[in-house]
Amino acid sequence: MSFLSAGSIAIAAGLTIPPLIAMYFLKLKRSVRVVPSTFLWKRSVEDLQVNSPFQRLRSSLLLLLQLLILLAAAVALGKPMIKAVTKHSGTVILLIDNSASMNVVEADGRTRLSIALEQAKLCVDNLDDDARAMVIEFSDRASVVSSFDTDKHALKRKIDTIKRTQSASSLEEAMSLAEAYTQNIIIGSAEAGSDNAPESTAPKATVFLFTDGRIERADTVALQKFETERIRMTLIGERGDNVGIIAMDARRSYERPEMLEVAATVRNFGTQPLTFDATLYIDGQNVDVQSIELASGVRDANVAGSASALAPEGSTRVIAFDEIEFAGSGVVEVSLRVDDALNVDDRAWTVIAAPRHVRILLVGEGNLFLESAIATLDLDVVTMSGEEYENAEDDELTDGARSIFDVVIFDRHDTDRLPQGNYMFWGSVPNIDGVSSGRTIDNEIIFNWDETHPVLRHVGIETLYVYEWLRLTVPPEAKRLIDGESSAVLAYLTRDASQFLICAFPLIIQNASGESMMNSYWVTSVDFVVFIQNMVQYLSSNVTTTGTKSVRPGQPVTLPVPKKHGAMRIHRPNGESDPVHPVGGQSIHYPRTRFVGPYRLEPGVPGRDVFTVNLFNATESNVAPADTLTLGAETVNANAGSVEANQPAWPYFLLATLALMLLEWVVYNRRVFV
Amino acid sequence: MATQPQTKTNELITPAFMRKLDQLAVVSRKIFAGKMRGERLTKRRGESAEFADYRSYVVGDDLRFLDWNIYARLDQLFLKLFLQEEDLHVSILLDCSKSMNWGEPNKWLYSRRIAAAIAYIGIINFDRVSIYSYADGIQSELTGVRGRRWTAKVMDALGAMPSNGVSNFALAGKQFAMRHPQPGIVLVLSDFFEKGGYEDGLHFLLGRNYDIHALHVLSPEEIEPTLMGDLRLTDVEDDDVAEITVGRALINRYKKNLQAYGQELKAYCTRRGISYLFTNTEVPFDQIVLNYFRQRGLIR
Repeated sequence: MSFLSAGSIAIAAGLTIPPLIAMYFLKLKRSVRVVPSTFLWKRSVEDLQVNSPFQRLRSSLLLLLQLLILLAAAVALGKPMIKAVTKHSGTVILLIDNSASMNVVEADGRTRLSIALEQAKLCVDNLDDDARAMVIEFSDRASVVSSFDTDKHALKRKIDTIKRTQSASSLEEAMSLAEAYTQNIIIGSAEAGSDNAPESTAPKATVFLFTDGRIERADTVALQKFETERIRMTLIGERGDNVGIIAMDARRSYERPEMLEVAATVRNFGTQPLTFDATLYIDGQNVDVQSIELASGVRDANVAGSASALAPEGSTRVIAFDEIEFAGSGVVEVSLRVDDALNVDDRAWTVIAAPRHVRILLVGEGNLFLESAIATLDLDVVTMSGEEYENAEDDELTDGARSIFDVVIFDRHDTDRLPQGNYMFWGSVPNIDGVSSGRTIDNEIIFNWDETHPVLRHVGIETLYVYEWLRLTVPPEAKRLIDGESSAVLAYLTRDASQFLICAFPLIIQNASGESMMNSYWVTSVDFVVFIQNMVQYLSSNVTTTGTKSVRPGQPVTLPVPKKHGAMRIHRPNGESDPVHPVGGQSIHYPRTRFVGPYRLEPGVPGRDVFTVNLFNATESNVAPADTLTLGAETVNANAGSVEANQPAWPYFLLATLALMLLEWVVYNRRVFV
Repeated sequence: MATQPQTKTNELITPAFMRKLDQLAVVSRKIFAGKMRGERLTKRRGESAEFADYRSYVVGDDLRFLDWNIYARLDQLFLKLFLQEEDLHVSILLDCSKSMNWGEPNKWLYSRRIAAAIAYIGIINFDRVSIYSYADGIQSELTGVRGRRWTAKVMDALGAMPSNGVSNFALAGKQFAMRHPQPGIVLVLSDFFEKGGYEDGLHFLLGRNYDIHALHVLSPEEIEPTLMGDLRLTDVEDDDVAEITVGRALINRYKKNLQAYGQELKAYCTRRGISYLFTNTEVPFDQIVLNYFRQRGLIR
């Protein structure tokens, strides 16, 4: 409570209270009465005094009341203001973060999600009776928990149905959903017969955001309808101590395929340095333990460069488990034995396949560079010309619906003979929906590439100059790994249970006189060999046809199915299983990857029947609540515009004065107390 | 405070009421031996017409009381004994302290009227009537009056009796017991507002084996006080001051205390064979005399 005019209180109290007390010090004027005998009266007074332990206090009750009256009046003069809870009216949208970081168990034993749900219900309680609210939960996806409703009980019941997830958080979808619903309201009210513009009649929506502030790419959220000042962010959570695995990979040694190398990147996000054990399991068997020491993950504000987004030195480490002898296929798990805020990121899984020779089919009219590069790798290579490929018997190429080759490379050969498999196209395109090649582009430069993609790992693109390439049209879901000015140069695409890597440039072109010449000097560099190795490894080793051994929670997975199969089930990490049915007889599509851990398809294609779900998300693992959120270009501060507002309190004090006066009058008249 | 009432004789009891009293007599629950021969039978053998017993004749006995019929039958001399008729002492102890002169109807007038009625009944029945007023000791006395001719004098004395002083029943009881050794009926009329306690006074009376009747007289103002607010109460007798703030709670407490005080007094009296009667001066005094005293057996 604050006072607008604090001085008035002192003046008013100083002027009135001392005289009042002084008056009470004066002897009370009593009227004199003669009675036949005082002895019964005296005895009664004594009795009453004995019976009333607060006799002395009671006798001065009137003084007490009068003092209170004066005080209340004096405080009212000081124009007190209180921070009162204001009722929310109009249109209210509750956005509840339900991402992995909301699984953090706070000091009071409740998870952040349960705290957020409590806060959301409080917010619903605080709504005006005519206010309508909708509830949206969001993690990597957003879903409407309750559409607009004025029934508070129904809203609270719906809020209680929100279940935890282990997904990343993304606000974009939630915001567009909220905006879409608000749009409906505006249209609805405009249709109701108002002559005014819809925008002016529509109530401005207030958005309540219940989150720990750890939201990925919040700055890319474009607010079209909502005003930033009408977004109220309620910050949930306090803990920040967390260690998480943010990346993990397991691969076989190139020279000795029976030897396994496992690497996991761990990062300390807490303020305290930590020492803990990291354990490696293969198919549940403890294989190796390492003691890890990590420095504090929070930069000292006094140290220069503290504003940097990079993790402080020593807070991130790559744990490497070398020389693990394992020739079979199985699930590799790295587990951190650490007591931290979030458990989801303390374990990571990946799938390792049994070592085998990768079978490559090279389709083309002869390409020295390609053949030489492939020859450096220890692979089984079959070479065919384009004509041979098209005319080959099915048995030569496929086993059922699936290609018998791990990777098929087409050199300048377009085809539509594409059984389930992994394909690399050089200077040509697969004849599938959405993919086509246009005219030749030359004299353009490569300006963007995804160096984090496994195919481009350790591949220098900076020096890549390509003389000409085909204008490539790829569907929107395709990943553009290398981009030119007007067309993609290298794209990655999955379709059904197949993977396609499409390179728009051929390695060899023919000049005007019909002579073959190099399209790029890149083919003569080490980078090209590294690229070929990455490509073969990537395409052949991916368990899921969506292109990764591991997916993020919530991300759907497509798995190849065996030729002959009965009823299939996917066994989830928590022991439950879901029946699945193949789509088009070739693959199954499985979306319920909400929780981290290994998932197994039974029966599945051996070596391609297990996939893992991992958090691998530094934003979610960094659980320390962020009290500011950048939405687009604007910043929202937590609790800045929360439920509190200043309200004048002097009328209450005035009312209290009146009530006290009434009480004093009653007491005076009753004279109950002696 | 009520002014000193100058009560006339006929104001105490009216001739019509006297006529009603003519038919009544004071009765004692105990039979006492009087000083003089009177109109009451006593345990003493005497000369009344009431036969009591026989005894053998001894030389010197009055021959008039020999039963000659028995002598004729048995040839033995027997003397007939008769109950002696003696007078009865009726004493009235009247509290004349200042506190009695209070209330509407006035307690002092009320008490004197009752005293006059009882005295009148006693006088006309040839009982020895004594009237004492007491405050801090015996203040005035009128002793041994007997016979209707004393009526006017008794009434005048009662009418002129002043109310003054501080009540000290203990002293008054002691003085009365010393001056009045003869047994008889004692009627105490008082408000019993005794700061020193009523027990000592009654104790002295009990020592003389009187037939004691206590009449507790209070005015309506004392039973249902109308006081309210911040007051400085002054005791009319000793100017003692009590500063109180009277509210409903205190009034209730006062009433409870008054009731308890009355009950205490009654229990004290009952245990010791004293007849106790409480009255409010709003109750007509003739009703007290004609009904209540009759019921209690003081008169018949």
